[in-house]
Amino acid sequence: MENRTVIDAHNLSKVYNPDTIPVNAVNGVHLHLERGEFTALVGPSGSGKTTLLNMIGGLDQPTTGKVVINGTDITALPPNALIDFRLHNIGFVFQAFNLIPVLTARENIEFIMLLQKIPAQERSRRVEELLLAVGLPDKADARPAQLSGGQQQRVAVARALASKPQFILADEPTANLDSHSASTLLDIMEKLNTDEHMTFLFSTHDQRVIDRARRVITLVDGSIASDTAPAGLHHS
Amino acid sequence: MLFQIAWRNLWRNRFRSLLIALSVAIGMWAGAFIMAIYFGMGNGRLRIAIDREVSHIQVHHPGFSDEQEPKFHFDTDSVEQVLREQPTVKSFALRSITSGMLATASGSRGVQINGISPAAEQSTRQLGDFLTEGEYLDTAMQHRIFIGADLADKMKLGVGQKVVLTFLDTSAAITSGAFRVCGLYKSFNTPLDERNVFVLKTDLDRMLGLHGRAHEAAVLLQHDDDLDTAFYSISGQLPGLKVEKWQDISPETSLVVSSLDTYTIIYIVIILIALAFGIINTMLMAVLERTREIGVLMAVGMNRLRIFGMIMLETVMLTLVGAPVGLLVAWICVEWLGRTGIDLSGVAGDVMQDFGYASVIYPVLPLNNVLQTIWLVLLSAVLSAIFPALKALNLKPVEAIRA
Repeated sequence: MENRTVIDAHNLSKVYNPDTIPVNAVNGVHLHLERGEFTALVGPSGSGKTTLLNMIGGLDQPTTGKVVINGTDITALPPNALIDFRLHNIGFVFQAFNLIPVLTARENIEFIMLLQKIPAQERSRRVEELLLAVGLPDKADARPAQLSGGQQQRVAVARALASKPQFILADEPTANLDSHSASTLLDIMEKLNTDEHMTFLFSTHDQRVIDRARRVITLVDGSIASDTAPAGLHHS
Repeated sequence: MLFQIAWRNLWRNRFRSLLIALSVAIGMWAGAFIMAIYFGMGNGRLRIAIDREVSHIQVHHPGFSDEQEPKFHFDTDSVEQVLREQPTVKSFALRSITSGMLATASGSRGVQINGISPAAEQSTRQLGDFLTEGEYLDTAMQHRIFIGADLADKMKLGVGQKVVLTFLDTSAAITSGAFRVCGLYKSFNTPLDERNVFVLKTDLDRMLGLHGRAHEAAVLLQHDDDLDTAFYSISGQLPGLKVEKWQDISPETSLVVSSLDTYTIIYIVIILIALAFGIINTMLMAVLERTREIGVLMAVGMNRLRIFGMIMLETVMLTLVGAPVGLLVAWICVEWLGRTGIDLSGVAGDVMQDFGYASVIYPVLPLNNVLQTIWLVLLSAVLSAIFPALKALNLKPVEAIRA
């Protein structure tokens, strides 16, 4: 039987400044995500959304607990192996887009595959596919500075997808977008989720994202306060 | 793509990159040009020493080298025969030499009296070319003396005036003779000019009591590279005589030439240290400005080795933009000044000549030293990049992205 579990976080905690003034950013969070989920992590500022996302993405080490991605305990991986794991398994979409400014849209997407040592022909084919998927085939040779915020974030989504990751972590992906751009982006991500069963985990304040999510996890003071499916879907 | 990223990153801050490339260019130019001047000076000194003073090889009686007494002489026929048979020998001059007193109505002075054959001396060290006033020695005119202009000045002598030379002959008896000044000369070496006077060898030999003998044979070779071959051949065929290379006769010149590399490297290293700080500063700023970007690169899977390589690559590229420009300008300067020369007589007067250097320096840039400079510049650039690159490596992605 196929293992559908993508993310399994056990008793995750993160304490900042443990030796001076300890701040508990995340307290004993248990989180389980299955393939194909479209989940929003919500909560007020300072509730620990980004910290939790960073730990799940292997960008930050938890103080206690562990994160198992597709059967691999990433909290136990040495730094270089963790970077390599991120390259092959996790796609990131950041609030501030964070594209490489000196590379064109095409190169930004291709860059990840280059790091994965994918052959040139396959890279080229996939770049075209992804640009088409995010609706920017005509912007392939534009640099980030020549793109609008919405277009940049769509390139960022394409970049995140380029490595064929297990899931995509998106930290407030619509925070810097106008409503039209946000809606377009969400349409694209929703389509990728539906058509390709790509797993998405967002942190967001944005009601538009929350409304589209099929599962909403609310964090308050670093702990999960609720875990609901607003559209009536049930998650255990 | 790492090359593309590194190259494009260079031009994100065009002004800063151009400024540091300019620093590299100036550093490269300064290093190469200083090297060229030093080598030009050293080469000039070497050429003066070999072509105008001591020649490549000298032959003496073993006792003459130690005591410089006229009784230590050798047979000219056998030496001449050996030297004529050497294919590497361009010319040679046989000399009679003694020390004595030069006296005029106004005073006297110790000098080295050189008995020469004017034609041989001209072909061996172009002595006649140093003439500043009067005439060079001529075998048709006996008892003439050719003296340095500086010595003449000090002794208040002019062309046509008489001097008396007093010295010991080969049997240690005091002998003296009157000579008339035929001409004045000024060579590249003021101290030597004040010490050496030249008379016809036939005149001096007669007074010394020498017949078919000489104290010194100065040998000029076709090429500098022939030195070892000629030395072993001549010394092998003249077993009873002391044969010496120019390095032994003029150790100070040999020291100057051999220490050139050391001095130039010291100067270049000083320039490169200054350059390195400029590169460190620039690359550190570049890394700090791109903290977030580097954090993102790490987050999406660019490993530390690649991050390190990217920063190093940017530095090397920056250096490679500036270095060829500096090298090209240095080459143009050296080519131009190598022909026209840098005349220091206007600023340094006769100071250069007081130390045996020509007042006009012709810079030269040996290829192997240029390559050495390029390596040193690249090495200093790479070393300078290590600190900024390590700074980038120490970034934590989660913190860098928040920056």
